[in-house]
Amino acid sequence: MRYALFLGCTAPTKSRNYELATREVARALGIELVDLPDFECCGFPLKSVHHESHLLMAARNLMVAEREELDVCVLCSACTGTLTEVNRQLAHNDVLREQVVSKLGGGKGEYVFGSAIAVKHVVRILHYGCHYLRPSEIYDDCEDPEDPHSLDELIEVTGAKSVRYSERERCCGAGVLAIDEEIALSLAQKKLEDVRSSGAHAMVLMCPFCGVMYDENQARIEARSDATYNLPVLYYPQLLGIALGIDPKSLGFRLNRVKADKFLERVI
Amino acid sequence: MNDFATILVVDDEPGILSSCEVALTRSGHKVDTASSAEEAVTRIRQEKYDAIVTDLKMPRLSGMDLLRIVKEEKPETDVIMITGYGTIQTAVEAMKLGAFDYISKPFTPNELRSVVTRAIERRRLTREERAKARRTRVAFEYVMPDDLYYLPEHSWARMITEDVAEAGIDDVFQKTIGVVNRIELPSIGAEVEQGSTFAQVYGAGGKVYKLWSPVGGRVVEVNNLLTEDSSVLNTDPYRKGWIVRIQSSDLRKDLANLIDGDALIHWWVKREIVERKTSKYVKVNVLDPEFKHDIAKEPGGENIKVCFACGICTASCPIREIDSRYNPRKIIRMALLGMKERVIGSDFIWLCSSCYICTERCPQGVKFTEVINAIKNIAVKEGHVHPSFVAQMDILAKNSRLYPIDDFDNRKRESLGLPKLSTGEGSAGEICRASGLLDIVKRKN
Repeated sequence: MRYALFLGCTAPTKSRNYELATREVARALGIELVDLPDFECCGFPLKSVHHESHLLMAARNLMVAEREELDVCVLCSACTGTLTEVNRQLAHNDVLREQVVSKLGGGKGEYVFGSAIAVKHVVRILHYGCHYLRPSEIYDDCEDPEDPHSLDELIEVTGAKSVRYSERERCCGAGVLAIDEEIALSLAQKKLEDVRSSGAHAMVLMCPFCGVMYDENQARIEARSDATYNLPVLYYPQLLGIALGIDPKSLGFRLNRVKADKFLERVI
Repeated sequence: MNDFATILVVDDEPGILSSCEVALTRSGHKVDTASSAEEAVTRIRQEKYDAIVTDLKMPRLSGMDLLRIVKEEKPETDVIMITGYGTIQTAVEAMKLGAFDYISKPFTPNELRSVVTRAIERRRLTREERAKARRTRVAFEYVMPDDLYYLPEHSWARMITEDVAEAGIDDVFQKTIGVVNRIELPSIGAEVEQGSTFAQVYGAGGKVYKLWSPVGGRVVEVNNLLTEDSSVLNTDPYRKGWIVRIQSSDLRKDLANLIDGDALIHWWVKREIVERKTSKYVKVNVLDPEFKHDIAKEPGGENIKVCFACGICTASCPIREIDSRYNPRKIIRMALLGMKERVIGSDFIWLCSSCYICTERCPQGVKFTEVINAIKNIAVKEGHVHPSFVAQMDILAKNSRLYPIDDFDNRKRESLGLPKLSTGEGSAGEICRASGLLDIVKRKN
């Protein structure tokens, strides 16, 4: 298997442990991840303020992949949603597709989008399905967004036990972090409270935005409320890497903000 | 005032006094009675009442005199007038003087209880919204388009031609009755007097509310859409929610008895001063009926008009749980009413976290996450853009990434065994320039 690796904005700067673990696990599984230097922001940040710019930025990335005839492997859920949605829109709307391609310097009929390239979240490549699949209508093979289970199954194949807890589908709050930090941190704290109550030893994520909230900001959340969580936050490829016997050093654990040493002692 | 109120009933007819006392006591209210306005004045100076239900016509001091005294001495007390045949014009006048509402003889215990419940509900809403306004610095608003004529806190009329007017209920009335389950419309050709019943609505728990006609005349058309979907009265009371069209023999005279939209703000301000309230809770604004159509033209906003205000979006919203400023149902309702400037100029539209739970759960397929994106797109085009987005767009245009990569980052990546990433402007700047987004940001700056 060969994929173009789409890092997006957050993973390569804020969640390098996610990127490291993904590359290691892909290597172990015989998946070739190709770095395309022309990939840029997926356009998600502009969707709510300027639809056309968002569309053009997403389309441009898809055109880069189509030129290389490579399907796209994405680390971030927001990037996955944006690229999947735009890929679908452009495949089904001939007029819009030609306008967009022309604005980006492409020729008539040069790009087809849709079936020409598949956009997949990294977790969907490693196994099947994705935990966060909203809006569900843009995905062809989605699971029930009100009762997702694929991440539980993915966790359990590593030998770990997936713990159910209340409000599992609650948003992490990253989408509103730049607008109102208080709201974003309160949302993240609710989840940390719920996870702590469940008795889980660690959180497993598949999105760097969520990582910003639960890992990078966990100490701030603790400081603002005098709470102590000390809850390690792992990206799924890190957990899978451990199960595949990869050295935790190669999986970027030293970049985790909340140290996972005790967790690693328990599982290795 | 909680769900139960302390009420003074005033009437010189012992039979009516007694039946009102029984009806309201059975609902759990504490009820006192007075057989004259003079006795009532003595009582209100000794006791605190949430509401007074008074007959309009009484010997010596009339109900109107009592209303003036109550509004002078106890402005926070709601006054409900009981009217008989031939006194409806006076009742309309009473509402302009600050009476909450009136009921017309003969009335049933349920009708009496419904109007009292509405008074309680209005006080509760006002109290809650004021508390919220103090917390959030967002003023409580009722919406009153300025091109209409009002029977205050009840109904409105709009001139269609020289002798035909359209009539409906106003925002205060619809907010105090809650969800409308059903409406009973008059038949075409029916004659109505100004201030008499022209329709009635059924709310939660089987409560019946009579609607007073703002103008008199012959009913020439009824809005059958409301019998199929009465929720339109809640979502669009001033446009799609019109109830009847009435041909009047002297429309201008009837309209002169009402308060027109331009004057309504002064009427409210006067009430605010009289009732010694400190916060403004009514704003008369010019609505933009095209706003919802403009939203529907934006990508993602197509389904806004199918919202029936069930509130699942609000109940599901994780942001709403934390901060009450963000209320999807209310935002849609404001947008449907045409409160364009209020919506696009607000802070709350920027609080969506794009989690799509509302979109998944909406039974109508409104896709609120996309609707709010459509609203924000309109806001940006008209110069309203949140400062954090200005900063984000600036970074994005210069670096093609939300988090710029510099040489230091690349050295760090190399030390971890990760490949270098491209630095510099990339193509995002050109895309944002060509699409006009950078011009918008520049103007904002």
